[in-house]
Amino acid sequence: MAKSLLIVSRSAPWSGLAAREALDIALAGGAYDLPLGMLFMDDGVFQLVEGQRPEALKQKNLGANLQALPLFGVDALFACSASLAERGLDPAMLAVPATLTAPEALPAVFNQFDEVITL
Amino acid sequence: MKFAIAVFSPPQAPATRRALRFTEAALAAGHEISRVFFYGEGVHNASANIVVPQDEFDTAAAWRLLITDNGLDGVVCIAAALRRGTLNAEEAARWDRPAATVLPPLELSGLGQLHEAAQSADRLVCFGGD
Amino acid sequence: MSTLHVISSSPFADTRLGSCLRTLGPNDGLLLCGEAVQALRPGTPMALRLGTLAGARLYALDEDCLARGLESVEAEQVDYPGFVELSLRYTRVNTWL
Repeated sequence: MAKSLLIVSRSAPWSGLAAREALDIALAGGAYDLPLGMLFMDDGVFQLVEGQRPEALKQKNLGANLQALPLFGVDALFACSASLAERGLDPAMLAVPATLTAPEALPAVFNQFDEVITL
Repeated sequence: MKFAIAVFSPPQAPATRRALRFTEAALAAGHEISRVFFYGEGVHNASANIVVPQDEFDTAAAWRLLITDNGLDGVVCIAAALRRGTLNAEEAARWDRPAATVLPPLELSGLGQLHEAAQSADRLVCFGGD
Repeated sequence: MSTLHVISSSPFADTRLGSCLRTLGPNDGLLLCGEAVQALRPGTPMALRLGTLAGARLYALDEDCLARGLESVEAEQVDYPGFVELSLRYTRVNTWL
């Protein structure tokens, strides 16, 4: 049976390559039909904000790749509710559907997966 | 037991030397290494072009030596490598770039190799950041 | 089922350790290495906080304590063979890159 992998994305989308490279790991795994999940926490929740215009920075829109995650079989998406609240983000206005998870519930999320990569 | 090692930090980061020491210790304890996968800034460890002062530790050279001496599978993510200018001869020719700095035994390949290494190992251990 | 969390950044420089402590489960382990061992300097708020971990075990990489003049710390010091052994004792390793 395939091992499951949780990818934790902690980086803001336009602050370097970390957000994109975390997403690439998820999409690559999805292409191989591996059981994957993705958790957005800390500044990683900024990837979930609607209405971003990265072309202003000559950046590619990660939002399209995020929305492709379920198509690649990555539909276990989690967002840390505390990270959203601390950053003034409305959980009802996320660009992709993610299960809101309180910090104290995160150990249980980790325990659902065999391996974890935190970027 | 079998380990997959993923290195996300460049040669000068303490985390990279830590990854090297961990891998050495795992081998010394009789464990196997399914693969060492270099991703993100970790691809810089594949460069044969680094010059380190003689009285300093050359982490990139140490990785090449460990991989060669132990017959390890050292793989560099091709997408991450291209972005950062660490190309092998094939990619330098393909993209008409002046220099190839990634030499055997290190290979450029896709992220699928990271997943395959993790799937075939008992533990995936990542190193990066500081 | 348990996670060995590995942190290497200074708690005074960034938020990784704070975030990690929020997600630490009662059976988890936390290995401090690199600049993260500075969190063990006695008398700091972070050291006090680390002293109250409910259930979770605290470890520190010995070479990093030695390098920084931290001789005795309120954590179990491990060497690299110990680090390898810890990675197998817990179900998974989560390095906060």
